[in-house]
Amino acid sequence: MLAEKYAQEIQTILAKYPPDQRRSAVMPLLYIAQRDKMYVNREDMAEIAEILGITPTEVASIVGFYSLYYEEQKGKYHIQVCTDLPCALRGAERFMQELCSRLNIRPGETTADGLITVEPVMCLAACDKAPMFQVQSGAGLSYHENQTVESALALIEQLRSDATRKRGRDSHV
Amino acid sequence: MMAKMVSLTIDGKPVEVPEGTLVVNAAKKVGVDIPVFCYHPKMEPVGMCRMCLVEIGRPVIDRASGQPLREEDGSLKIQFGPKLETACTTPVSEGMVVLGATEKVKAGREDILEFLLTSHPLDCPICDKGGECPLQNLTMGFGPGESRYLYDDKKHLAKHVPLGELIYLDRERCIQCGRCVRFQELIADDPVIAFSQRGRSLEIVSYSEPGFDSYWSGNTTDICPVGALTTADFRFRARPWELKAAASICNHCPVGCNLTLNVRREAVSGGKWVLKRVMPRQNEAVNEIWICDKGRLGYHFGAQNAERLEKPLVRKNGELQPATWQEALELVTERFQSVGRGLITLASGRLSNEDLFNLGKLTRSLGGKSILYSSMAGGDLTTQIGFAPGTNFADMGKESAILVVGSDLEEEAPLWWLRVRQAAKRGATLIVLNARQTKLDRDAHYSLRFPFGTAAAAVLALVNTLSPKRPELPESIQELARSSELKAAAKAFAEAKDAAILFGGDGMGLAETQALAQACANLLLITDHFGRPNNGLLGVWPRANDQGAWELGWQPSMNLPADLAQAQALYIVAADPVSDDPAYLNAFDGQKFVVVQDLYLSQTARLADVVFPAQAWTEREGSYTSGERRVQRYYPALQPNAALPPRVESPGSRRAQVLTGLRAELDGPQADFAIPAFLAEKLGYEGFVHASASLVFARLAAEAPSFGGLSYQKLAEVHEQWPIVGRSDLYYGGTTYENTQGLGVQLPLAQGGASLLSWPQVADFKLPKLGGIAFPITRLYDRGATLMHSQLLHKRIGEPYIILSKQEASRLKISQGGFVRITFTDAERSVVVQAKVDEGLPERVVLAPRSFGLPISGPTPVELKPAG
Ligand code: SF4
Ligand code: SF4
Ligand code: FES
Ligand code: FES
Repeated sequence: MLAEKYAQEIQTILAKYPPDQRRSAVMPLLYIAQRDKMYVNREDMAEIAEILGITPTEVASIVGFYSLYYEEQKGKYHIQVCTDLPCALRGAERFMQELCSRLNIRPGETTADGLITVEPVMCLAACDKAPMFQVQSGAGLSYHENQTVESALALIEQLRSDATRKRGRDSHV
Repeated sequence: MMAKMVSLTIDGKPVEVPEGTLVVNAAKKVGVDIPVFCYHPKMEPVGMCRMCLVEIGRPVIDRASGQPLREEDGSLKIQFGPKLETACTTPVSEGMVVLGATEKVKAGREDILEFLLTSHPLDCPICDKGGECPLQNLTMGFGPGESRYLYDDKKHLAKHVPLGELIYLDRERCIQCGRCVRFQELIADDPVIAFSQRGRSLEIVSYSEPGFDSYWSGNTTDICPVGALTTADFRFRARPWELKAAASICNHCPVGCNLTLNVRREAVSGGKWVLKRVMPRQNEAVNEIWICDKGRLGYHFGAQNAERLEKPLVRKNGELQPATWQEALELVTERFQSVGRGLITLASGRLSNEDLFNLGKLTRSLGGKSILYSSMAGGDLTTQIGFAPGTNFADMGKESAILVVGSDLEEEAPLWWLRVRQAAKRGATLIVLNARQTKLDRDAHYSLRFPFGTAAAAVLALVNTLSPKRPELPESIQELARSSELKAAAKAFAEAKDAAILFGGDGMGLAETQALAQACANLLLITDHFGRPNNGLLGVWPRANDQGAWELGWQPSMNLPADLAQAQALYIVAADPVSDDPAYLNAFDGQKFVVVQDLYLSQTARLADVVFPAQAWTEREGSYTSGERRVQRYYPALQPNAALPPRVESPGSRRAQVLTGLRAELDGPQADFAIPAFLAEKLGYEGFVHASASLVFARLAAEAPSFGGLSYQKLAEVHEQWPIVGRSDLYYGGTTYENTQGLGVQLPLAQGGASLLSWPQVADFKLPKLGGIAFPITRLYDRGATLMHSQLLHKRIGEPYIILSKQEASRLKISQGGFVRITFTDAERSVVVQAKVDEGLPERVVLAPRSFGLPISGPTPVELKPAG
């Protein structure tokens, strides 16, 4: 339940909107849900709808509209490679294909350990520094420009060991 | 105030329309068809599909002088825009020149259609919309004929996506016009379907539980311009061009929505005529172009099925056995004659005006008593200060006030909910005065609550703030009476130029609705809101023709069980008291002679001595009087007797009258008006007709004062309505049928007026300290005999339940969906039902939906226990 886990944060968000325009808080509440699990499930949509006094369908429609909200559980880290035209001209597509084959997945898929998802996205406003991608995770966004497959793989290794360390720590508390 | 008029030309035709009119509508008014997909005349334009592109020119205005410039020949200088414009979003302006048939426009439309078809499956041969499809028609009319896109590159998407169990989506066919989504949001106020994803991946989704949870969902299948949305009921059942159409009236509620019944003769049903679907028929004064899902999907009780009664039954040796009409009629004649004044005829508002007229007249001739089987009183007032002729919700706006009291309007009379809401959106002051929250509260300017059991007192509290005569108000209402909101609401009501009151029976029985109706009448009388159009009292009756029954002198009995017990003979027509409340069983003690006339062998019919099989409303002619006092005709769609070979090729309106006529040898079900006339004939009474409904109506018009001057011809009159709908205008208004067979006539008001003022006694009502009080409420999807034949709706109807307060639930340690035993203290009966918990409900209040087998005719003391 988001309402219990993030009571204070939700409260602060709602306070920014007049009560009769509560529905405007749908985006920040969806951020919370997505940050929590890296995707928004049906229960979360229903709960957000309840909090905002709109229907679950309306919430789902917003989740569906924005490609950066996920409706299904994928990797813990989303490697979002821009493959729009300017980046493609700088080899972004080939970069993504190769990265994927090195990870043994197809674009849009998640690695076997459930950690890494690679997906093509639209322009991220760093067209001159392609190949580039952003990493989206519960911790937020980070930009990575002028990449090679090797540098990307190195970063992925780093993310994997972070995740293992974190998991280890979590199990000790 | 008349709107300013604007002159323009469309394809050379001069037009004058009110300022603000959209080009597409101005064109339609002069017979120029501008094709549309996303635009719908009942909704605000969005300009999403670009199908309506036209060339628009406007007079050039000289900046310095502000005068229009002229060409050398003196004509206005017209400047055309560089691009085509959407006729659906552009309002007219003075001197505008619209060109809808130029090469440029044609090319524009061809392009749009070519784009739309790039991913359209073009599976018209297996599409339910095929034959009445705007996309099909507009492609034929304006399309390119050939596509430059590769067929193999078409995007293929899921074709059988249930948005719930009632409506299916074919994703490939959707052209993303947004009509369905907009309808659900703007008109139905149930935004339970929406767009998800973007571009070619866009799809309609529903996340409600159950899916597409709305009483209005069927309307989206009418306005969807392609075959993307279909009802589970009609999907793959027939092709539109095989269907014959009969004009009809919905008989589920007092709105009286105009319907078209589509039938066809089919081999799979042994060559019989079969009812395939129910569609709305336009009547802008009643249902506009909409119907609710109960009307659309709940018609199966009127179809011909194996459970229908086919032959009269007569009790012999303790068993009901098939008999001939001759035998049954003779027996009944003899027995009725011998009891005379001891006869009680109990009939419901499910019957037509003609039926009730003949039944009432027969009963009177015998010296017996007629009783209307209804849970609401107050019709004596609605016949006198009800809706006056000329009243139309569509005309209510800024100058109107509407008070809805004691009614969960969307559940009780869906279309009135829709229309009252629209009136509020147009600026009418909407006051909702109820014991609990309802959907209409969302649109109310004043949303007031009275304590359960004090509806009449609450209305008197409104009266008190306005009138010098101030009836004593009970203790429990004082807080509301003193509130400033109530005073403001009363003032707004009194000061409005026009005002109407809708009163219902939410939580009430006969005695309570009687007092409520009188209190409402007083409010109308002292504020002078009666006797003219758009003013007056409207009863949200439980049945379609209750108003008609009252107009014809029928009234409910304030003590029905006692009346029934005293009778020597009972003639029960279209009513099933025993199913509703087993307490009535006492009346069937075997001593009295009981005749039941119905479609099915009901619980009551099982106890009868004689059972007469009646024709369904689909099989005969008749008329109903809606709550708004509009008398409307319905026509036969099916052959009355399935066993007989069809006498006419199509049961069309003209020749259908023959069908209800008397045959040499009576066989099969007969019309409800005919059976009492047969009895009258045997009894030797004059002045009864049975040969056709129109003859009965002629008698009725001659004898019942408020129907004076009416005839079937008058009821069948039509005039042009806006928006234009029908065959060639499918792309514009949807598959709603055009009304060609009658808009009906509103009855004049009976004399009465100011003399009706009388002050009802309102006793104080307090909830008990122990136990609880069950208040009857109405659910649209009830478990009544007329709806349970519609299998498709069973999931939505659900199992019997009651609604408890949070406190009650925690006391009983029951959670949502648990079972409780509810004991009706007075009746010494108990039933086990599911419990739902409503946080907003006061302690000690139990809500009990009617027709769920719980014996509650009004507020009833109950005890609750958990049931494992
Ligand atoms: S389902 Fe029909 S009405 Fe709804 S958007 Fe698609 S085409 Fe339009
Ligand atoms: S609103 Fe009433 S009359 Fe209209 S379709 Fe629904 S049940 Fe029938
Ligand atoms: S096109 Fe890739 S970042 Fe702009
Ligand atoms: S844009 Fe005008 S009808 Fe769709």
